Order: sequence, then C-alpha cells, then structure tokens
Amino acid sequence: MANAEPFADRATRMLRSAPLAAVLVLYTLYSALPFAWIATMSVRTTSEISANHYAWPTVWHWEKYRAAWFDSNFGTYFWNSTLVVVAAVAVVTVLGAAAAHCLARYRFRGNRLVYFILFSSIIFPPQIILISLFQVMAGYGLYNSRLGLTLVYIGLQLPLTVYLLEGFFARIPQDLFDAAKIDGYGDFEIFVRIVLPVGMPAIATTVILNFIQLWNEFLFAVVLVNDPGLSTLPIGIRRFMGDYFQDTGMIATGMMIAVLPVIVVYAFFSEKLIQGMTAGAVK
Amino acid sequence: MKGVDTRTAAWPTLMVFLLPALAVYAAFTAYPVFRTFYNSFFNIADLDTARYVGLDHFRALAGDSTFRASVVNTMIWSFVAPIIDVGTGLLLALCLYAGVPFARFFRVAWFTPVLLSYVVVGIMWLWIYNYDWGVVNATLRATGLGALAHSWLGDTHTALAALMVTHAWKWAGFNMVVCLAAMHSLPSEVLEAAELDNCGWAAKLFHVVIPLLRPTLLNLYILAFIGKMKVFDLVFIMTDGGPLWATETVSTYVYKRAFNWNTFDLGYPSAIAVLWFLVVIAFVALLTWLFRQKDRLEF
Amino acid sequence: MAVVRLDNLSKRYTGTADAAVDRVSFTVADGEFMVLLGPSGCGKSTTLRMIAGLEAISEGALWIDGRQVNTVPAKDRDIAMVFQSYALYPHMTVRDNLAFGLRRRDVAKAEIERRVALAASILGLEPLLERKPFALSGGQRQRVALGRAIVREPKVFLFDEPLSNLDAALRVATRNELVKLHRRLGVTMIYVTHDQVEAMTMGQRICVMNRGRVAQIGAPLEVYRNPADAFVARFLGSPPMNLFPATLRTDGGRALAAAGTHAIPLERWRTEALSPGREVLCGIRPEAFEIAGRTTAGTATVTGSLSAIEPLGAETLLLVDLGPGVGEVTARVRDDVDAPIGSTMALSFQPASVYLFDRTSELAIPAEGRA
Repeated sequence: MANAEPFADRATRMLRSAPLAAVLVLYTLYSALPFAWIATMSVRTTSEISANHYAWPTVWHWEKYRAAWFDSNFGTYFWNSTLVVVAAVAVVTVLGAAAAHCLARYRFRGNRLVYFILFSSIIFPPQIILISLFQVMAGYGLYNSRLGLTLVYIGLQLPLTVYLLEGFFARIPQDLFDAAKIDGYGDFEIFVRIVLPVGMPAIATTVILNFIQLWNEFLFAVVLVNDPGLSTLPIGIRRFMGDYFQDTGMIATGMMIAVLPVIVVYAFFSEKLIQGMTAGAVK
Repeated sequence: MKGVDTRTAAWPTLMVFLLPALAVYAAFTAYPVFRTFYNSFFNIADLDTARYVGLDHFRALAGDSTFRASVVNTMIWSFVAPIIDVGTGLLLALCLYAGVPFARFFRVAWFTPVLLSYVVVGIMWLWIYNYDWGVVNATLRATGLGALAHSWLGDTHTALAALMVTHAWKWAGFNMVVCLAAMHSLPSEVLEAAELDNCGWAAKLFHVVIPLLRPTLLNLYILAFIGKMKVFDLVFIMTDGGPLWATETVSTYVYKRAFNWNTFDLGYPSAIAVLWFLVVIAFVALLTWLFRQKDRLEF
Repeated sequence: MAVVRLDNLSKRYTGTADAAVDRVSFTVADGEFMVLLGPSGCGKSTTLRMIAGLEAISEGALWIDGRQVNTVPAKDRDIAMVFQSYALYPHMTVRDNLAFGLRRRDVAKAEIERRVALAASILGLEPLLERKPFALSGGQRQRVALGRAIVREPKVFLFDEPLSNLDAALRVATRNELVKLHRRLGVTMIYVTHDQVEAMTMGQRICVMNRGRVAQIGAPLEVYRNPADAFVARFLGSPPMNLFPATLRTDGGRALAAAGTHAIPLERWRTEALSPGREVLCGIRPEAFEIAGRTTAGTATVTGSLSAIEPLGAETLLLVDLGPGVGEVTARVRDDVDAPIGSTMALSFQPASVYLFDRTSELAIPAEGRA
C-alpha cells in the first residue's frame, strides 16, 4: 500500500506531462536527426544514396574516409585548419591573457580607454576590415598564406579573449598579488606563476570558444586564401561541393571529417564546451 | 615614489604585457578599419591605383536597388529572427527547468548544432530543403501533402524564411543554455512564493519567470541581433543571395561587389561596409538605450 | 628583529582633498606587539600597507631597522604579512604555499624543508601539508597564512585583520595562539584590527587611529583609562562610554557639570582649572554605574526612568533615560534587575570616574594628580 500513492502520483504526473515528453522527444529528433543523416551518408556511396536517401547503411564504406582524406584533399584541409587554428588560438591566448592581466590589475592612464576600444570591437561587422585586409595582406605578401590567415585570426579573436579574461582576472583578489610581491616575485613572475594557474578555468573556456569559432570560420578564409593547397576545412568542403555537386556521399564524408574533432571534444568536455560557447552571454 | 605601489607598474612593464596585443589590434583591426573608411572615398580598380571620388559611392548607394533589397532582407532577418531564436531557446529551457529526467542529456543534445560550422549546417539544410529528395518534401509527400512540396530555397517567397529556420536551428540551443543558466540563478524563494500564492503554470511563467529573466532575454536579443546584422556564411553557402536577391544580405552584397563581380572596385563595397558599420553601431546603441539595461551590456 | 619608525607618514590619493593617512608618527620598539586600532576607513590598513611596501608613501619617512625604506620594494623590506583574506595561492599545496616565498630567495633546499617543518609543527599543520587551500577549514587556512609568514623569519610581522574571517570561538583561541607565538618568536609585530577586544588583549601598545590621524598611543589599559579624546573614549569599551553635553559650574566652591536636570560632581580637577560656563562633554563608563542604595557614601547619583533591560547572565545592561539634555545612558551592573520598564531608576557612581572633554575639540580635559 505504501507504494501505491507515489505510483499513482507518478502516473498522473506522466500523463499530464505527455505533451512535455512529446516536445522533448521531437526537439531532440529535430536537432539530432540531420546530423545522424549526414553520418549515415558518410559511410554510403553516392549511388547507394541516390537509390534511397534515407536507408541505413547496408555496407559500411569506411574506406570513403580514406578516399576523402587522400584523394579529395580533405587531409590537406584538415592539416591546414589544424595548423592555422592551433597557432592562432595559442598566440591569441597568450597575448590576450597578458593584455587582460594588464588591464585588470594595473592602474594607468588610458586603461579604461583601451578596454573600451577592445570591447566595442566585438560588435564590428567583419566587412569593415575584410576588404582592406585583403589589400593589406596582398601588400605584405601575406595573401594566400597560412601565416597571414593565422595573424588575421589572432586579431579577430583578440577583443573577445581580452574581454572575457579581463572579467575573470579582475576578480582575482589583490591580496594574492600583494602576497606574491612580499614573497619576492616580480610582475612577470606573478603573471606566469599566479595569474595563469589561478585563471586556468577561464583560460580553458576562452581556448575552447576561440577554437570552435576559428575551426568553423569561413568569411576570412574564403577571402584571404585562394590556393586549394592552403585552404582550411570549411573552404575545402565548399570547394569540393562546388566541383562535385552530385557527389553527395563524398561531401557527407568531408563534412564528417570537419565535424568529428569538435564532436570528439564535445563528448569528453560537453560542460566546458557549453560554458565556453556561452561565455560572455551568461554572467 | 614609483615601483612600490602594487597596483601600478612602470610603463615598460605595462608595455610588455599590453603592446603585443595592441600591435596585433592596430595591424589587423584598427588600421583596416581606417583603411576601409579611407577607401570608401576612392575608386580602386586595382590594388595600386586609386582615384579619389569623394562621396560618389555614398550617393550611388541611394540609387542602388540591390543594396536596398539587401538592407531590407537584413533588417527583416535582424528583427524577426532573434525573436524566433530567443523564443525557442526560452521554451526549451522551460521544458528542462520543469525538472524532466535526463535534463542533462537533452541540454547536451540540443546544444550540438551550435558547434557545427555554417558550411556543414548550410549543406545539411540544402539537402533537407532539396526539392527531389529533401526531408521536408519527402515528409510532405509521404503524408499525402505532396501538393505543398516546394522548392523552398528556389522560391523568392520562402527562401528567406527557410534560411531563418536554418539559422534558428543552429542557435536555439545557445539561447536555451543561457536562459537555463539564468533560470537556475533565479532566487528560489520567488518561485516558492509564487507556488504559495497558488499561481498557475502559465501565470508563473508570464508574471514571475519572464519578468525576472528580462535582462537575460534582452541581452540575448541584442546578441542575436548583432549576429544577424553580420549574417553571411549561411546565405553564401545556401543561396548566394538568390533567387533574385530574395536572400541578399548586406554582407553577401559587399562580398560580391568586392570579389565576385566583374566591376572590380574595392571602393564601392568599402562605402557599403562603412555605412553598415555605422548602422550596426547606431542600432546597438539604440537598442541598449531602449532596453535601458541597468547592467553593463554583456556580449 | 627591528625597530619600525614612522615619521609623519602620509598617504594622499590623487583627486581627493583629504589625506587617507595624515602625518602618522610612531615608533614600534624591537620585539614589541603594536596594534593599530580604528573603525573602517580610519587609515590603519593603508598605514600597514605603506609599511609593507604595497602602497606608495606620499609624504614622510619610514624606517625599518635603522634603514629608510620609503622606496624599497616590499620584497626587500624583510617583512612578512598575514592578510585578512589569507591570500593563499589556491593552486598550490600547503607545503608549496609555505615554501613559495623562500624559493624565490635562494634559500637552500634543506633549509626550506627545515623551516617548513618547523612552522608546520608550531602550527599543527603537518597532516595538511599536501592539501590545497580549498580543502581546508577557515581556521586551518588562517594557520597556513601565519605559517607562510613564520617560515620567512622576517624582521617584522604585519597582520591585516587576520582574525576577522573566523567564527567567534576560533577567534578567541587564535588570539591566544598569536600572543604565545609573539612571546616565542620575540619579533616586532604590527597588527591592524577594528576589534577593540583584540586590541586590548593582544597589544602591548595600542595606536588608535581616526580619520587618517593618530588619536592616541599607549598601553591598552592606559588608553582605556585615560582616553585622549571623545572618539577614543567611545571607541574603547563595550558598551561605549556614555557621553552627554554639560556646562561647567561652581556651587559653593565645588565644581559641577550641569547636564539637563542633573549636576555631576567633579572631583578630579582643581576648581580653578575649570572655568564656569565652559561647554563640555561629560563621560561616564557604563561599568562605573551601580544601582543606587547599595553602595557606600561618597558616591553621586543620577535618577531617570528605566527604558530597557538586557540581562546578559553575569551582568545586566540597563538603559536609563535621564531626561532632556542628556538622553539615554547605559549602565552595566552586576545585579539582576527586574524593575518594570518606565519605573524610576537611580544610578550611583564615583565622582572620580567622570571624564570631561572639550565640546568643540573633543579633546580630554586632563585631571590633575591622577594618571
């Protein structure tokens, strides 16, 4: 008898929440099925797909990944993306953290002005720098180069990085710095041995945010790099799509190659990733 | 007296921290911005020769019907789409806030589209909207509504809406997570008090939760608004502004005028970019002022 | 071990008219425990931070161990500081927190280990050495902060309200430990607090500060018994001294302070030192009052109506309204009182326990013959 009451309770609650359950299931399908669909297509050949676009793979054509990687240049695109994004994220993190620490910790004339300028740059529409960057990069011989793209990416993510890290660093208590000063450490040692370790959670968040944004970046990559051998993944996929419009199967495989690193990271660090992507919007 | 106060440092020290970032900013943001302003007064047919034309580009803009179409499209997108994004996000967050089992799973699943690149999302939805075998038309035909099957992206009446749906699909999870975080930080006493007042579910939502979430929702609206004012990737990949400029946005038009049209001139698109830069800043300032956020605007 | 001497030390922030610290001078003897006491914003912490080298000195001179150190950076002043927030490095273990300051100073490894072990044993930190700060209780964190200062073996210890984040019981225990530690190490210590009990129980001398200036310096009981001005009188003692406006008068050759309807006899001053008509503040400590009728002759009495009773167990606080011109006074008596609120209450006191302060300057009017 003791169990009857809660069970009845639960039953009515479930009945009442049937619409809610329906919403949950439907939205989950809505957000996940397109991705699952691409995933199945990535291991089916184009002719199989043409026969039936929604069939479950009968033969799992894993070799398509090999083909995409080697024959369709996705390996090159992947390498280019990795090189550019990792380098840009590494540099922007260091530069951004140093600047953020400087703005958060020290009082000096112009501090808030610099902060405000960086902060407002976050809302700039990209076109305001896109065209002239094309000119500038061409002038410096950095057009069509991974180094050029990396430098632009550093500049692109710098304002947001400084903004997010400044907010976090400013909350590190001043006493910690004073204690380290008394303990005999100089400004740079304090930055390396106190600020960076203590700020690690925030730094990890910005690293993730920058990584995802740059890994997916399209506009600057399409304008500043023309050479297929130097293209990043988003451009590579689009180029492939343009050249082999009908080859649905191989396009799907290419898309999976671009998405997989993100998904793998997401599987392990979903909370950190969500936190990173929404950083700045939630405070 | 220098060097003792721990909140001050010598200028060389400050510069070691700040200068690399400032140099990058100056080279890759500040200088290009000024250069674009400068360019907008010139005709730049190739990179080495520039001819001063004063305000000619800006005058030409007034009579440019494609530009006008792109502005209208971008404005529709910027004002309408954020409502869809934030509204969906809020509803999804409410579902999870109701305390459903596996909330964590749903949250992670619904957030996934945020992580995908526009290229992937764009191709995915190109296929979903495909006339012959896309999911939308296939579903319509399978349910006997074949008459409604449609070339969603090929029809000037539906193309923009179709893109907005895709955009909302990508961003709803983002708004959901932010709303949910804001809900969890609501003081539980308020909701308990509403419970005691025997408030109904809907009353609680409209009279307690939404007013309390107001700052977050407005913040998300502005955030989405800024995003739409810049929208480029999705359009570029899915419709390239077509059909007949039905989905042309300011960003895609600038790109086309700068890099795709045969009338190669970097001056005219620069003028558009300058104008749009000022418009975006003005709108953000206006919205912020309208919403009268007490808190500092958070991006 | 060292003498710390402040000579007209001032701190001015740009854009503010008043100095945060205004010409503060005092000397802390070698091995002395000096307490800087005052309400928040009185400049005591800023003074300490100037001594530490965390805040630039605007004017004046600071000597530590015979060396002027105005522009010497904090790390070279041979001081150690315990912060109110403890300022433990959150990413380091207790051991690393203790050793961090020594590693920078090229202390030999074995010596670092010896000192860490010693400090850990003094403070009972041995079982906690491998923990990180987040895994410690408030009291344990406080001890680590203390340990970090001890291992440095500095010439001067500085404390910035180190006990204010502890709960009441722990605060009393730690207070005693700090006194013992001072006795054991025999090092100069400067201790900032807003808590008069801490100041009274720990300090060998107290420096009371108010609005950036030194109000009074002296041994705790001396400051308590002979407050230099009305501020010190109010600040030291709990509940604070009753102060009410009065006018001096003579009545048959005897000096009186007329306050409202009351006449307070003044015995500690020579009559000719008190000019009649002078506006003063009259002060009587709550504990100087007793319930009239049970005491011997030679006492004075004031009568008012009882407005509140706060029984504290060992003693009772009475709020008695002495009428217009005086208002409510607090009495701290040893008896249990169960008189009804509003009833008439007579309080007696020794005339020798009356204090006088000038009404405008608020400075004490010194009595003759007595300390």
